Amino acid sequence: MTQIDPEQIKVILATDCGSTTTKAILIEYVDGEYRQTQRGEAPTTVERPFADVTMGVVNSVTEIGELAGRRLVGDDGRIISPATDTEGCDIYISTSSAGGGLQMMVAGVIAEMTAASAKRAALGAGSIVMDVIAANDGRRPHDQIQRIRDLRPDMILISGGTDGGTTDKVVQIAELVAPAKPQPRFGSDYEMPIIYAGNKEAREAISDVFDEGGFDLQIVDNLRPVLERENLSPARDKIHDIFLEHVMAQAPGYDKLMGWTGAPIMPTPGAVGDILQTVARLQGINVVGVDIGGATTDVFSVFNETFNRTVSANLGMSYSISNVCAEATMPNVLRWVPFDMDERELRNHVKNKMIRPTTIPQTKEALMFEQAVAREALRLAYKQHKEFATTLKGVQQQRTVGDTFSQQTGGMTIVDNMKLDLLVASGGVLSHAPRMHQTAMLLIDAFEPEGVTALAKDSIFMMPHLGVLASVHPKAAEQVFDRDCLVYLGTCVCAKGTPKPSKPCFKYQLSGDCNESGEIAGGDLKLIEMAPDARATIVITPARGIDLGEGPGKKIEKEVRGGTVGLILDGRGRPLALPEERAACQKTVQGWLDALDVYAEEKEPAAV
Amino acid sequence: MRYAVGLLLALAVAWTNSSRAATISLAPPTDVTSEDVPNDIGTQVLVEWTASVDDHDVPEGEPRALLGYSIYRKVAQTGDGLESIGEAATNASEIGFPANFDFQDVEPIGSVSYGRTQFVDENVEAGTTYQYAVAATGLPDAFSPLALATELVTPEMEYFNIGKLWFLIIMLTISLVIIAFVWYAKRGGEIKVRPIAGLEAVTEAVGRATEMGKPVLFVPGILDINDIQTVAGITVLANVAKTAAQYDAQLKVPTARSLVMTTARETVEAAYLGEGRPDAYNEDNIYYLTDEQFGYTAGVQGVMVREEPAACFYMGAFYAESLILAETANSIGAIQIAGTAMPSQLPFFVAACDYTLIGEEFFAASAYLSHDPEQLGSLKGQDVGKIIAAALLVVGCVLATLAVTTNWRGAKIAQIYISDNILGDEGLVPNADKVAEIDAELETQAQQPHGGGGDS
Amino acid sequence: MAKAYTPGLLVTQHKKHRCMRRLPIAGEVKVAKGDHVTADDVVAETALPGDVNPINLSNQLSLPPKDVIGCMLKKEGDPIAKDEPIAQTKGIFGMMKNTIKSRFEGTVETVSPVTGQVIIRGAPLPVQVRAYMGGTVVSVREHEGCEIEADVAYVQGIFGVGGETHGKIVLACDSHEQELTPDRITEDMQGMVIIGGARMTVAAIKRAQSVGAAAIISGGIDDQDLKQLLGYDLGVAITGRENLGITVIVTEGFGEIAMAERTFKMLRGHDGHETSVNGATQIRAGVMRPEIIIPLASVPTDQADHRFEEGQLEIGRTLRVIRDPWFGMIGEVTGLPTEPHVLGSGSKARVLEVKFPSGETAIVPRANVELIEE
Repeated sequence: MTQIDPEQIKVILATDCGSTTTKAILIEYVDGEYRQTQRGEAPTTVERPFADVTMGVVNSVTEIGELAGRRLVGDDGRIISPATDTEGCDIYISTSSAGGGLQMMVAGVIAEMTAASAKRAALGAGSIVMDVIAANDGRRPHDQIQRIRDLRPDMILISGGTDGGTTDKVVQIAELVAPAKPQPRFGSDYEMPIIYAGNKEAREAISDVFDEGGFDLQIVDNLRPVLERENLSPARDKIHDIFLEHVMAQAPGYDKLMGWTGAPIMPTPGAVGDILQTVARLQGINVVGVDIGGATTDVFSVFNETFNRTVSANLGMSYSISNVCAEATMPNVLRWVPFDMDERELRNHVKNKMIRPTTIPQTKEALMFEQAVAREALRLAYKQHKEFATTLKGVQQQRTVGDTFSQQTGGMTIVDNMKLDLLVASGGVLSHAPRMHQTAMLLIDAFEPEGVTALAKDSIFMMPHLGVLASVHPKAAEQVFDRDCLVYLGTCVCAKGTPKPSKPCFKYQLSGDCNESGEIAGGDLKLIEMAPDARATIVITPARGIDLGEGPGKKIEKEVRGGTVGLILDGRGRPLALPEERAACQKTVQGWLDALDVYAEEKEPAAV
Repeated sequence: MRYAVGLLLALAVAWTNSSRAATISLAPPTDVTSEDVPNDIGTQVLVEWTASVDDHDVPEGEPRALLGYSIYRKVAQTGDGLESIGEAATNASEIGFPANFDFQDVEPIGSVSYGRTQFVDENVEAGTTYQYAVAATGLPDAFSPLALATELVTPEMEYFNIGKLWFLIIMLTISLVIIAFVWYAKRGGEIKVRPIAGLEAVTEAVGRATEMGKPVLFVPGILDINDIQTVAGITVLANVAKTAAQYDAQLKVPTARSLVMTTARETVEAAYLGEGRPDAYNEDNIYYLTDEQFGYTAGVQGVMVREEPAACFYMGAFYAESLILAETANSIGAIQIAGTAMPSQLPFFVAACDYTLIGEEFFAASAYLSHDPEQLGSLKGQDVGKIIAAALLVVGCVLATLAVTTNWRGAKIAQIYISDNILGDEGLVPNADKVAEIDAELETQAQQPHGGGGDS
Repeated sequence: MAKAYTPGLLVTQHKKHRCMRRLPIAGEVKVAKGDHVTADDVVAETALPGDVNPINLSNQLSLPPKDVIGCMLKKEGDPIAKDEPIAQTKGIFGMMKNTIKSRFEGTVETVSPVTGQVIIRGAPLPVQVRAYMGGTVVSVREHEGCEIEADVAYVQGIFGVGGETHGKIVLACDSHEQELTPDRITEDMQGMVIIGGARMTVAAIKRAQSVGAAAIISGGIDDQDLKQLLGYDLGVAITGRENLGITVIVTEGFGEIAMAERTFKMLRGHDGHETSVNGATQIRAGVMRPEIIIPLASVPTDQADHRFEEGQLEIGRTLRVIRDPWFGMIGEVTGLPTEPHVLGSGSKARVLEVKFPSGETAIVPRANVELIEE
């Protein structure tokens, strides 16, 4: 690929080939800044009868071309590059999650240590981790082998041992993988790629184990050279390389597409992670992003420049809706619904949604129920994320005698809602909710942000495109991210602590584009409308024991931004507690929904 | 002090008596009674009398005529003549003390100095009937006639010590609480135990050793298996061994006592078997070094320096070697987890180790690790006991302070009730005398309006 | 855009059906192109490599791993029986030798000088692939499998549990609206495919299980009944590997719902015929629905003329509403407004107008209907 000079890039074309639709966007340099100008959509054409992904790409790009009045596809059916004044683009980039994305199996010695690091590397690269094999995963060797045999991953990542650490345990893991002879997902015409990123002293022994054939062993630097430090990028880069060389090359039409792009094709979730990291780094903020789909929910977080991603495989809104209800339990789902529902009927509804995943809620009640399920799915996914996004385990602790009674273990979560600055939502149930207020309420209820947090949603799922763009032109990516990708819902100010009901929780005073002051009582929610481009300074004086970021009872002053919803003041306390008793719970939840005007007065029912 | 001097004098009198003839010159004590001391196992009798008329203060410099009282005891003969107290009183000779009682030849069973009017005989046998007599003694070899007790006494064993009823109540309460918690835990109830970082970190430490390809070192203290700390250490060893078996890490246990080695071997082998890894167990890794404290320490240090274990556990009783071991292991970069109930060694462990189990935490380890309902329930029950004790302590302190600083009768009575009844042996009912004393004191203060300042 | 693609479940009197029979790993295909097979015929077989059992000899012999090879009594590739000596230490002057016996039966696969681990592989596990559906072998892929084709009547269910099986169709209900209860199941239904009407109860399924029926098919099932049957709450609709001894298929969905009348009539028309059923369901990209395949002895000549294009919404087509508030109701398309409509939930969606047999009409999002394929 040729070296790209960011200064020369004025027209950027990006596509994301999803499993059902291919989305294309056009970014142009207008009046001194990069803006997303047009978008187009077409069905993805990976599967039969088309079996050529470029058809969908060309279709979506043609649509943009028509809208923009710019010829983007040449007579040869290729994308025109570089750009002239009226046609073509300076760079074309793409991501892909077609055909189920990138699926991997990872292995390490200890599940919480090298195996966890390997999982982090794989997830960070945008893959789905099908299973984690570790010496201490509680399975007998023949069960592990059986499992490896059953899975058909795209590639396998093996780690284990610090540099100079254990050799035999790593070799043992390899000795499980080799006889199992796992088959790659796409046919048997290529060798199973194995990435070894473990103890460097075991490299030779590992090569011996895999030299029998049927494997394509690639060796990279140890991803955990010492237990105190992770070095994930060599493994991540190698995953991307193999993804292109092997996995993508197997999918119909991708070889052609790869020739068109000006930057390597990335797995969609990997690109989303990249853009969030870029934005967090450039703006110096902590970000959490969530993408809730039909089958899975992805959570991304960047705290103090440490990136983590988790995929909750069975938490989703259609294929996995029944699993969400089973895991969260019905009473937990129903606590968000402010009216009575027949539980048996509801369970059947849930199962019917599971087997007919494309249906949409027609009535307000059905919508409220679905959003209740979404709250629980998001809550569980975030919980899993918190458990995974931890400091490293197996690290020595420094102590003084003063720590005698406050000893803490390693592996504490690095996710701190108080330090969170921006929460970004994407995925059908969040970005296509009829009212933005619903999206905001869902985010607040499920993630329980603390202190001052900006809420946004990804308008048209543009994050993957920008992720790839970030690798060639970070500035353009950030500008478009802020101006066009995100739709700011507003800011929420949430009190941490247990405020007494109806007693003062905090006082606030706004100045700037919005001038208002008042008091929020415990258990109350208040919405102050603020236009999307409005900015205001808020001074908050919390009651005793209530924390808004500076410690319990301490006054804070911060700038807040408006949004399509506005400024939300939340005095319900954290952790969020709902009354146990059903009737009281319904009343409380109804109160909250009314306060934020979440379900606006319904129009005439659609039914005749 | 005053009494002690008197007692010595009386003993001196008794000794000198043997060489001289006794003179009956003093007035006898009167109203001698003897009664069984309640709430004992029948080995005590309380003898009381009214002081002799000669037992009075004398001006400075003059000798005392009466120096003390001697107490005599006879085993009352069984038979017809002994049944009636009246007879006994009228005719002393018939019930064991002859009229011509020889003060020179008969040793008293005890004596007290002047001013005292009671004596507890602690050398009696339950079920035997005794007759007591008291005589006043003075110098030189002066005695009073024997004053006989009006009643015979037969000490008896009581099954219940009513005075310690509060102990029974507290013990039953704690036992019931323990039983209730055990029952609750067995029925699947959740008993929350505060997470103990040191025990949570076992998997982390063993995991580190596995990743680094280094052994795990476990030091079970330097005392023998009869020490409770060693036993607690072995309990933790079982868990460490279980984790080591799961992770397939090498576990080394050098011991300072042969019996500890045997126990440790059994424990570790059972743990490996339990994890289905009997093939991974190597008995040679659990070995005996020496009984010598510093020989052992040097040996363990050698293992540390040569094999560089990535995780070190110190669980048991430690003395001076604690810091030597912990600092050596720290220098080789090992995760260290210590647990001991030795207060003097705890600061060293806390400063040098990653995690330290302190006293109670260490003993709670087995319940914590096993999640066995019986152990958890008992742990919780004991906690309730500790809460009761702590509560009594706090309430006692507050009441004692109030009793001293105010004239609140309730506080004063409650204070003596806690110290004498709950913690002492007065039984359930407060001592009427002491209550009367308090009342009297309060009354005196009430009569002196400016004295106590507490009568507002 | 008067047309829109809306997928429906296939229920057809006749189609040419092909099914691929594939081995999990390379093996031997036992049939040739053109062969006629019945459902029970083995078309391919292979042997899966046996279980792998590691023994850590280094620990058992108390030897460093690299010395283990020198003590081996068996070489790589040698067969070994249970309790047969596998390794022996050299001992001191030929005395005090320590012998280790194998705890497993199989073949010594590898001896690792790094870990001191010996891997013993158990006997291969034979795997047979049966034809599942009677028909003609139309293609053979060497070492992989073959494809079988037949003229069949075909019903796609919405959801099922349990894998492939076959048997003769037997009707337990008289109408498509009749609930399938245990009293409708008789002992002589052993090995048969039981057809019910509306909802089947868990008691009925258990009864069918106990009489040894091959499969049980009905309109609906209650969520709680399914949970009771499986022993767990199904979270994701990926099934087919349950070991119930019976395959269960629902044709319409969860709850009190009657089997589509046409489906019921068609199945009744094949009463007593041999049929192949598979409950395996996979609702993900690349959706897989349970199927009922009835091979036909003769191809029906009177092909129903296709009035409508497959999968296209047109006025006059019959469809089923698949989401509340009209869940399960069947009606006819009477209008296809082009403009998106604001629903009761507040969201905008493309809708259609449907008329139910009762004469009632309703506006329903297009996403919430399913065409009934003729």
